[in-house]
Amino acid sequence: MIKLSDIIVKFGDFEALHNINVHVKEGEFFTFLGPSGCGKTTTLRTITGFIEPVGGTVEMQGKDITHVPIEKRNIGIVFQSYALFPTMTVHDNIAFGLKIKKMKKDEIEKKVSEIARKVDLSDEQLKKAVSQLSGGQQQRVAIARALVTEPAIICMDEPLSNLDAKLRVQLRNELKKMQKEFGITTIYVTHDQEEALTLSDRIAVFNKGYIEQIGTPNEVYNHSETEFVANFIGDINPLDHSLIAPLHLDENKHHFIRLERIHVNQPEREGVLTLNGIIEMQEYYGLYIKYYIRTGDQILKVIEKNDGISIYEPGANVSITIDPQDIMSY
Amino acid sequence: MQAPIGAKNKYGLGKLWGIFGGVLFVYLFLGFMVMPCFDTLTSIFSTKDAAGNPDPFAVIRFFFAGNMPSFVLNSLKLAVLLVVTVNIVGISIVLLTEYFDIKGAKILRLGYMTTLIYSGVALVTGYQFLYDKDGILTNWMMQFFPNMDRQWFSGFSSVLFTMTFACTSNHALFLRNAIRGIDYNTVEAARNMGAKPFKVLLKVVMPTLLPTLFSLTVMTFITGLCAMSAPTLLGYNSINPEIVRLAGSTTADESFPQARAALLSIILAIFTIVLLSVLNHYERKGHYLSVSKTKAKLVKQKIQNPAANVLAHIYAYILFVIYMTPVVMIVIFSLQNWQAIRSKTIDFSSWTLINYFGSQDYSYTTSRGKTKIRPDAISGVFANEKTIGGIRLSFILSALAAALACIIVVIAVNYIFKHKNKKRSKVVEACMLFPWLLPTILICYSFRIFFNREVWYVFGKNLYYAENVRFLIIMAYTVVKLPFAIRMIKAAFYAIDEELEDAARNLGASSMVTFLKVKLPIVLPSVLAVFALNFNALFTEYDMSATFHSSYGTSYAMVMQSMCNEEGRDGMNMNASGRRCASTVFIMLVSGLILYLVYGVGARDLGERLAIREKRRKRFEKMKARLGLAHAAAEELPSDAGEYQE
Repeated sequence: MIKLSDIIVKFGDFEALHNINVHVKEGEFFTFLGPSGCGKTTTLRTITGFIEPVGGTVEMQGKDITHVPIEKRNIGIVFQSYALFPTMTVHDNIAFGLKIKKMKKDEIEKKVSEIARKVDLSDEQLKKAVSQLSGGQQQRVAIARALVTEPAIICMDEPLSNLDAKLRVQLRNELKKMQKEFGITTIYVTHDQEEALTLSDRIAVFNKGYIEQIGTPNEVYNHSETEFVANFIGDINPLDHSLIAPLHLDENKHHFIRLERIHVNQPEREGVLTLNGIIEMQEYYGLYIKYYIRTGDQILKVIEKNDGISIYEPGANVSITIDPQDIMSY
Repeated sequence: MQAPIGAKNKYGLGKLWGIFGGVLFVYLFLGFMVMPCFDTLTSIFSTKDAAGNPDPFAVIRFFFAGNMPSFVLNSLKLAVLLVVTVNIVGISIVLLTEYFDIKGAKILRLGYMTTLIYSGVALVTGYQFLYDKDGILTNWMMQFFPNMDRQWFSGFSSVLFTMTFACTSNHALFLRNAIRGIDYNTVEAARNMGAKPFKVLLKVVMPTLLPTLFSLTVMTFITGLCAMSAPTLLGYNSINPEIVRLAGSTTADESFPQARAALLSIILAIFTIVLLSVLNHYERKGHYLSVSKTKAKLVKQKIQNPAANVLAHIYAYILFVIYMTPVVMIVIFSLQNWQAIRSKTIDFSSWTLINYFGSQDYSYTTSRGKTKIRPDAISGVFANEKTIGGIRLSFILSALAAALACIIVVIAVNYIFKHKNKKRSKVVEACMLFPWLLPTILICYSFRIFFNREVWYVFGKNLYYAENVRFLIIMAYTVVKLPFAIRMIKAAFYAIDEELEDAARNLGASSMVTFLKVKLPIVLPSVLAVFALNFNALFTEYDMSATFHSSYGTSYAMVMQSMCNEEGRDGMNMNASGRRCASTVFIMLVSGLILYLVYGVGARDLGERLAIREKRRKRFEKMKARLGLAHAAAEELPSDAGEYQE
């Protein structure tokens, strides 16, 4: 569907993207994930045509679109700020692209009401100004505007970042539902790992203008290929020498373990390392509890499901178990 | 975002327009900014001695030998004292209406803001009408203080008094915004740490206002230095009136008047450039920006000390009376007949609309005892061709110039933003700000002298000749208003989300469509606000009108001035003062209406407009339903009656 081959983008002397290679399949929900300034938005803008690369090619449906102007690429965009035109009504915002294409009035009306129904916008809402809508409704308008021109793919640049936590979760689910309904190829940019893991079919993890790993959410989380990916997605404990030796790990490598892979007060098993520790601190999250457990010179972070019974207070002596198979080494 | 290497200009078609625009811009900049001012500068050194030999430094020698330094010193004295008085009054009116809890603050604010619609020559002549030797308030005060000097309102003190209250508009607008921008949490934090209210004002509130106050101080100083209407009409020898006098003088009357006028203009320009450089340097150091992400709205502070509270209220209402008295009196006297106006007493049996509409004959007895009639010697604003002609001319010229300045600036700012971080955009911006460095009088004087000859690049025409002067006035008005327009409109463009432009392009809109359909509607309220402010300022401005005064360029300000001088002369224009009051009321209404339309109606966003429309629709339907019910009830009544009959 979309194929980026050896894409290089420069801003002056600064090389923002170094040989980026990505292949997004038809109907896929593909996410570019990474910290600020890693190149994910630059890659998206290269696909949409706002940035022209100095090297490499962008192909869509087998055709080279590297030098095709923005408006001729047939790519819909949902911007971070939604970029809804504040001086137009919801209807006029959605109809803008169709009017530019000089479609007939009745055809425009038909398409607008059709897409409005699909994204759950009422006729009353269509008459309103965008400022009169809630954040969630504005997002639906932005999606409708991007979809009404029937683009081949849709690109979304952190569309949830301006919303509060609760609404973000709610809209995340709606977004996924809509994408499945429309069956449209979607490229999504975010720095939020949770968002990426819950929404995506596949994820490309970006770092300093490179792609560190491309894979399914399970692959990037459980089988992180690089130290950066392991560190960026989820939370991890770096293991120091006091644990490397008893686990017989390669001392020339860095070793990590995810928080949920360490267990508290579990029965000893063969091949599993059991250590004694003291609870230093407790963070209560409701669904789970995070403990900071001192074992030897190291403090390990551990997450335990909150069952309401086994809750350990600071100062409590506990045992922790680590399965060497859960250790990630780089 | 910086354009990446490899990006190409895909809009080749626009290049032709770009070249045309560039050539036009260079033509206008060189032709109507650089050339006239350069000519003024060189004219200083083109003087000749009695034998006709070049004597380039004659005017400089003349400056030090004659009384010319006194004009400069007088202007400096006015500027320095004006800074003090305007800041005292300006800060007071803002604190009293925005910071302290003063009863009736909304009414007070309206009074303090009257200078937005009542300014320039209208304000000065209004003050003159009330306070001069025969003024109604002078007469009134004489009853209480019989030994008082009747001519107290003349010369320096009257100019200072008038300008103090005339020049607080900027405080009322900009300092008010600055104080409203204060995060109230900082005030609460200071109070929480034990600071007393006065200390909070001094140590927390005032420092955040300092950058705005500094800008206002510099602008006030420049206003004082370049004062024109008040010194001319109230009689004070400062630089600007002298420049205008010299510009109209000839070598037959005195020594090289044009070169002397040019020298005085350049002296003003030097002062202005130095002050604006200081201001620019200070502004670059940055402002105190609130770091708060959840800014709390300022809550008005109660003055705890009862005595101080009473004093503050008295002070607030005295200021209100000073601001409002001229406005109220002008309105009242615009509705009085000429006899009442001449006797400066309000006669409740003399109400009339003759100062506005229609005309009357005036009969009088000559020294030989004959009764004569002067036809139409009493006429209203809309019946007096001279008055309405001046208003019409000022209206048209101001509207055209204000619109032209906005159009030029919108195009230029769009270009600047499109090519930001490029040298050419900085050059365009600098050119647009160029007139800011020059006093208005220098620009006008330069225009008048330079274009008072056939100039090749304006098709060989003399632009000061006959009706051409109107075009010259429009150009001068436009040039003078460019810097203000660019500062305000650029700020509006900054507020446009860059993603809107990207979105429009992504949806297939061309640069032109994006500009017209997306960007322009967003900045339009700001553009209209700039238009309104510029229009109001130009409508009643005096400096340029006086410089370009000619039979074809008699603007409203000049008509006002002539109405001050010619009242009742030889039985003519018997109600000149009344007509002057009426025309001032008319101008206030027009200015007020424009400000209301722009700030009140025009500032509403689409959501607010649609909400109001919806409210109106519902109200209308409700009314219709009620009427319908009443109608139905009326129709039903006979049948009911019939039933009863049956």
